[in-house]
Amino acid sequence: MQVGIGFSAESDHIKAAKEAVDNAMPGINKGKVDLAFLFSTIKFNHPLVLKTIAESLKNIPLLGLNTPAVMFNLGIYSNGLLVVLFSLPEGIYFNTACVKEVSTKTALASGEKLGEELLYGCQGVRRNLSIIFSDGCIADKQNIIFGLQEKIGRSFPMVGASTCGLNARTEKACLYFGSLALNDAVCGILFGDKLNFGLGIKHGWQPLGKPRKITRSSGNTINEIDDKAGVDLYQEYLAKNVSGLKKNLGRISTFYPLGIDITRKKEYLLRSLSSIEDDGSLVFNGDTPQGSTVRLMISSKESCLESTRQAAKLAKKSLGNQKPKLLLVFNSLARAILLGRQENMEIEIIKDVFGKDTPIAGVYTLTEQAPLSSAIYLGKSYFHNNSIAILAIAG
Amino acid sequence: MFNSDIILILTSTLIIIALSSMLLTKMQKIKQLQNEADELKRSLDGMDEQAKIIVRTDMELNRIQEELDKKISGLYALQGLSYAISMTLVEEEIFRRLSLEYLEKLGFEKTLVFLWDNERKNFTLKTAIGYTEEEINLINSHINANKNHCLNLIGEAKTLSSLSAPGNFITKNTLYNIFKANYFIFSPILPQQNNRGFLFVGTQNAETVITEGDEELIKILTTQLGQALENARLFEKTWNAQQELEKKVTERTRELTAALEEVRKLSKLKTNFVSSVSHELRTPLTSIKGYAAILLTGKLGAIPIEAKERLDKINRHSDELVHMVNDLLDISRIESGKVTMNLAPCDLKEIINKVDDLLSGQLKERKINLSVNIEPNASSVLIDRVQIERVFINLIGNAMKFTPAGGRISISNRKAGEMIQVDVSDTGCGIPLEAQEAIFEEFFRVDNPINQEVKGTGLGLALVKRIIETHQGKIWVKSKAGSGSTFSFTLQQG
Repeated sequence: MQVGIGFSAESDHIKAAKEAVDNAMPGINKGKVDLAFLFSTIKFNHPLVLKTIAESLKNIPLLGLNTPAVMFNLGIYSNGLLVVLFSLPEGIYFNTACVKEVSTKTALASGEKLGEELLYGCQGVRRNLSIIFSDGCIADKQNIIFGLQEKIGRSFPMVGASTCGLNARTEKACLYFGSLALNDAVCGILFGDKLNFGLGIKHGWQPLGKPRKITRSSGNTINEIDDKAGVDLYQEYLAKNVSGLKKNLGRISTFYPLGIDITRKKEYLLRSLSSIEDDGSLVFNGDTPQGSTVRLMISSKESCLESTRQAAKLAKKSLGNQKPKLLLVFNSLARAILLGRQENMEIEIIKDVFGKDTPIAGVYTLTEQAPLSSAIYLGKSYFHNNSIAILAIAG
Repeated sequence: MFNSDIILILTSTLIIIALSSMLLTKMQKIKQLQNEADELKRSLDGMDEQAKIIVRTDMELNRIQEELDKKISGLYALQGLSYAISMTLVEEEIFRRLSLEYLEKLGFEKTLVFLWDNERKNFTLKTAIGYTEEEINLINSHINANKNHCLNLIGEAKTLSSLSAPGNFITKNTLYNIFKANYFIFSPILPQQNNRGFLFVGTQNAETVITEGDEELIKILTTQLGQALENARLFEKTWNAQQELEKKVTERTRELTAALEEVRKLSKLKTNFVSSVSHELRTPLTSIKGYAAILLTGKLGAIPIEAKERLDKINRHSDELVHMVNDLLDISRIESGKVTMNLAPCDLKEIINKVDDLLSGQLKERKINLSVNIEPNASSVLIDRVQIERVFINLIGNAMKFTPAGGRISISNRKAGEMIQVDVSDTGCGIPLEAQEAIFEEFFRVDNPINQEVKGTGLGLALVKRIIETHQGKIWVKSKAGSGSTFSFTLQQG
């Protein structure tokens, strides 16, 4: 497998697209381009970018998404676009698919449809990895995973991310599929046969305070915790009234997610707060099953950076002795906010673990999708918040 | 029966006692466990309370850290912006350098710069970042419809924002619908003399909190903008003045070049004229001199004494005239480049000795001492020997004319950089300062009693100057009336 990464921060859309593709081309060493990923900041969400890339790459399958910032070996850029080109050897199969207008059907049905379409063309091939990108605005995103895994099976991991604009009111992040920029959609790729990869996912948040029980919830919404309105928990801990909590929602969502202890495996599944309803219910960026034990979670810059190192080490360990050709990083925007001016440290840590020349292509996300335990695949993928997922692909 | 009853009662009693005891023990244990559970619960509650304190403290620390990060990023962005705008002196370029990248780091994705146009009496948009064409048109119209209000605000020289502006400054509706922002900072741009204006930065981010620090940063930015605009204006003014000056210099140079060309043409005409006239004069002069000489021999008959005296005069004046004509011809030949200098290394001492031999009779007759002091290491010169001999003959001859009996003429040499300098000094009457430059011009004669007695053409020094200049040398005189003169000239080393 040959992988090329190209970046451009040119303000002109056509020039930027051309420059990024040109910069990526040397990486595939004159091989045939089979597949492309496009990660761009919202400013580059322009038809001319996709048109130029499609013309340059002769309409090869392309997937991607908008991100508040792209990350690659040289750093983190809040303006720019990143093109990742793959030249695959014989023996690695893949199929891409997309489901549009998810809101007109259920997320579960959309996941199932995506699964069916991904399977088409991969029949008879041993599946070993799927990567899914979804619109962060879809309400019950977790059902997409359930639907998808229902169709494609749970014997291999599913990794992915959902889009995230810096400001949901003003920035409408979208997905890329082929020459289309889409909202309210989910797209993915299913790899089969000989693709070797390693995966690591960690968050670095620690539980704080006593365990509580979700006594009433539905989907992403927690109505009651310990038989009291969900919002009481945050009011209690932060000593703020509802209006004060709403005012600080961004900060609370970033720094104090809830941790769901769903497997008693010392790994908490994080859920960051999305909104507070008038009745005191809490809406999260991910499902919150009724009866689950939850705890308020807290982190620090050091703990966050340590989790990045752990995720990288896990990905490296699960890859064995193989040298990765590409590190795909799906990193929660909450981590960048927590790290502030130290956000670049994550790249340095990843480079430290894998070697400074290992190509990195990463995006900031609203949610990350991966199995709960990254070291050993346990058959089920989850939506994560505030986490970093590192997928090391060796080819 | 009795016994068995008693035994039964006793046994039952014992069992009851034992059970009661066990129950009591259990109850005590339960109570103890309950106490422990209560204690644990209290501990957990205590820890939970501590956790609350930790979370609240952490939240406050995070808020402070965020603000600090924002300020540091803002300072970096401001430094970058200041550097970028101070590195240009072109007004339009200053505004182009207000890039979104920096402004976003300051926390604003919307930026407008308007400057007041004094001629058109309206505000001109200089920069709009984060707006569509349609939005820009709407903002432009709005600003110019409220231009007096804007001018008043600029006049107050105050930076205002969502934090500090009075309630009636801008309605939320206008801010959102026209300026497409939820929060803003307005800051006047006040260059010293240039047109004034203002910078508006805004953000739609609902979570933005405008602080005094933000206001301060934007105020610094507008001060920098004002200075950059002022610098650009001064540069433009200086540039224009320089352009005007260069234009004038070019024009004057052209005029001077034309005048010089005219002078050259005239000079050539004069040279040609002098040359032609001199040639034309020489033929009849030769005849006059020849016939006068024939008559003087008496071969054509005896000549009365009076007539002989007249013929002598004719002969003498003819000689002087021939001499003058020859000098004029030499000058015009040199000027027209017709004379080729046969340059060859020569020893100055040899030339001076030759001239000394030639003039020794006259020197002796006039009782003038010629002192020659030639430095051997500066005596080799690259010259046309015949021409330089003429230079010495002329200079020594002149010195003899103006040096009284008992006086001295001295000749010396020395190295002067790459050249050899020769000085010919006399103890004569000297040359007045005002005449020192003109003595090298043709026909110029210093107005003094000696010149009135001693005849001369006024061409000797002119000829000397041209010969020296043709040798790539220079000639000048240092003199003081009554204290003698020193003629110095330079020649190339041999």
